[in-house]
Amino acid sequence: MISMTCRIDYGRTGFDLVPCGCSSNPCGTSLVRFSVRNYATWASSNGGTRRYGARKLVCSRPEFAQCRVFSTQTPEAMLNAPTQDPASLLDVKSKPSSPISVSSLLEVVADDLQTLNKNLQSIVGAENPVLMSAAEQIFGAGGKGMRPALVFLVSRATADIVGLKGHTTEHRRLAEIIEMIHTASLIHDDVLDDSDIRRGNVIIRVSWEYLCYATIKLLTKKLIFEFNFSGKETVHQIYGTRVAVLAGDFMFAQSSWYLANLENLEVIKLISQVIKDFASGEIKQASSLFDCDVKLEEYLIKSYYKTASLIAASTKGAAIFSGVDGSVCEQMFEYGKNLGLSFQVVDDILDFTQSVEQLGKPAVSDLVKGNLTAPVIFALEREPKLRDIIESEFCEVGSLDEAVKLVKRGGGIERAQALAKEKADLAIQSLQCLPLSAFRLSLEGMVKYNLERID
Amino acid sequence: MMPMTCRNVGFGWTGLDRVACGCSSNRGRASLVRYSLRSYARGVFQGVNGWRVARKLVCNSPKAMLNVAAQDPASVLDVNIKSSSPISVSSLVEVVADDLQTLNKNLQSIVGAENPVLMSAAEQIFGAGGKRMRPALVFLVSRATAEIVGLKELMPKHRRLAEIIEMIHTASLIHDDVLDDSDIRRGKETVHQLYGTRVAVLAGDFMFAQSSWYLANLENIEVIKLISQVIKDFASGEIKQASSLFDCDVKLEEYLIKSYYKTASLIAASTKGAAIFSGVDGSVCEQMFDYGKNLGLSFQVVDDILDFTQSAEQLGKPAGTDLEKGNLTAPVIFALEKEPKLRDIIESEFCETGSLDEAIELVKSCGGIVRAQALAKEKADLAIQSLQCLPLSAFRLSLEGMVNYNLERID
Repeated sequence: MISMTCRIDYGRTGFDLVPCGCSSNPCGTSLVRFSVRNYATWASSNGGTRRYGARKLVCSRPEFAQCRVFSTQTPEAMLNAPTQDPASLLDVKSKPSSPISVSSLLEVVADDLQTLNKNLQSIVGAENPVLMSAAEQIFGAGGKGMRPALVFLVSRATADIVGLKGHTTEHRRLAEIIEMIHTASLIHDDVLDDSDIRRGNVIIRVSWEYLCYATIKLLTKKLIFEFNFSGKETVHQIYGTRVAVLAGDFMFAQSSWYLANLENLEVIKLISQVIKDFASGEIKQASSLFDCDVKLEEYLIKSYYKTASLIAASTKGAAIFSGVDGSVCEQMFEYGKNLGLSFQVVDDILDFTQSVEQLGKPAVSDLVKGNLTAPVIFALEREPKLRDIIESEFCEVGSLDEAVKLVKRGGGIERAQALAKEKADLAIQSLQCLPLSAFRLSLEGMVKYNLERID
Repeated sequence: MMPMTCRNVGFGWTGLDRVACGCSSNRGRASLVRYSLRSYARGVFQGVNGWRVARKLVCNSPKAMLNVAAQDPASVLDVNIKSSSPISVSSLVEVVADDLQTLNKNLQSIVGAENPVLMSAAEQIFGAGGKRMRPALVFLVSRATAEIVGLKELMPKHRRLAEIIEMIHTASLIHDDVLDDSDIRRGKETVHQLYGTRVAVLAGDFMFAQSSWYLANLENIEVIKLISQVIKDFASGEIKQASSLFDCDVKLEEYLIKSYYKTASLIAASTKGAAIFSGVDGSVCEQMFDYGKNLGLSFQVVDDILDFTQSAEQLGKPAGTDLEKGNLTAPVIFALEKEPKLRDIIESEFCETGSLDEAIELVKSCGGIVRAQALAKEKADLAIQSLQCLPLSAFRLSLEGMVNYNLERID
């Protein structure tokens, strides 16, 4: 059995088009589009370490030659920046002239993150052998998670205020909980949405047994092929969904339980609110697809629910466990919230602007599903034709490309960039209450790094 | 014809039950409606935007009733009466009927407030007016234990606990629907069914999230930990089950653990939580936990028996769905000890036509059913014992009645 790994760069959220360079005949010319949502792909400095391996993309010909496509670290690939010297981070006067790399930002909490990954692997894997292999893939790749990193950075940055030496156990546990919740939400997001088949997107079912059922749409012909890899296609098809639902439920449940055992009512309520917000955000999004009347406010609320809420709770929770003043905790909440919003807006911009070399055009996974994000909302104000195209749900060939052009022409990208910057500025402001330190610098760096993704 | 929901259907907690649907519809015949509470209710409906979040029980008239009339509430207070007619659930919960009604209203507004799409789903999920076994247990234990400490009325947190419990239960059913939905297994699916998958996962997540949030706002660490454990157990139970399908080496112990995780854990937490909020002594709380646990185990065993014994009267649905999926339950585990041939059939995953029926026959002929019945009774007795710490009252009687009602399902 031939097994080849196709490395691909993909944006955080959304689709990407990659040629699947298999030696198999059907695959050789097929374009595999897959949906990857917001896996934290903040990279490790050791180029090539996979952050999140749970999406094993498998496309195969019936003879079972498999070509596996792994996620790789977007920031590393995109920035091409050398790792910053950690020492230079401590120099509060230096402005980084080269693009920021995430690895340098996280350098100061690298050990914490490593411990986190180990702990998570054992938490998730201890339950069941099935989950064990999943846990290895999800957490064992040695990648860094942005959200836990924020917990550690804020806890160290706030520790200075109260004279704490290092992390407490609560901080560590909080970071683990946050990462489990984040991962669980990603896994549930992956549950197959077969309305995607209707719209012609590729569905790759993830099965941790490496069996996969794929529906591939050829862009030009809108044919739907079903690849049957083992003859038991329906069993494995449902297995993929089942594993996704089960694993997500399990991780939500574990995080709830650890949360409860932290015995801090304020943090329990804070994080419970987040889980509620996740669900609310997904539902809001699901029920407003292709709705061209969506306002920017609603988009920001939805983005808050889906992305910023967890980040805000992470940063505020870390401050709470440091025992700092309530006002500092609120500032940390604001930092996390605005960082999260800025992050989401940037993600949504990249969905339009990130070109996939092989195809020469962006993936626009959000748009094709009817999820109207900031660039689109802005552009709709100026381009009435865009509305028609969207409401047609891109039934005509080429309408998606035209929509993308209209979004760009209508200034959607620029205005979205301004929005991202606006939120980023608010985030930086909120950091003023922290003493200057390498940690605060890193927190500022996070904001700037995010913006650089769209420079 | 407008489908109407059947009110006042007394149904078992999990699994199967049959009710005579005494409809006066044009069709003019009583149809036997078999439904599974695990899947909430059969019958796919198409709600707003093609949501298929829960299945609504549909029959022809709102007057589906059990054949047994509701017991006279007054007679429930007479502790000497042994009910000679079969127990009806409606009579058991009569004493907390108002509490349940308030619960239904609250649930609908909690779930529906979020989103118009969920609103219509909420109506479907909670508007059917069925008996709420788990909340009923919360109310019964609350009131039964309240007497010990001289509490006159239920506290808001009792009510909130009941709502949380029911939301968790419903959320787990919705996800179970996703996991069990055999339609997905059959090749190319219809779009709306598949759309239902994602939406079902979302809706379940939403309800878990809501219940977690309300739980947190109860601000009782002990209960928060208790219920969080349940949610963890649910997930563990599902995973255990999913990863041991068709495994003929499964022991009875593992089956009981899995049944605890999937069914009894929530019930035990409900009853113990109610006692905690009543403020009774820790030992009483533990007794209430044991009551709930053994009631839940007994209940699950009965469910598993019914999956074998109800084949004849079902409405066009084959028996042995657990077995067919490879989920080996008490009757099978007992039968496997005596019949090696059963093992072969199961391990073949019923690839041959007729093998499922053969397996069912083997389970019955090897005493699998009989021994499972004994197991159910054993757990039921333990449950009754745990009630001894409660003062005699209509509520305690109802709690005993729950145990007996469950056993009667397999008489």
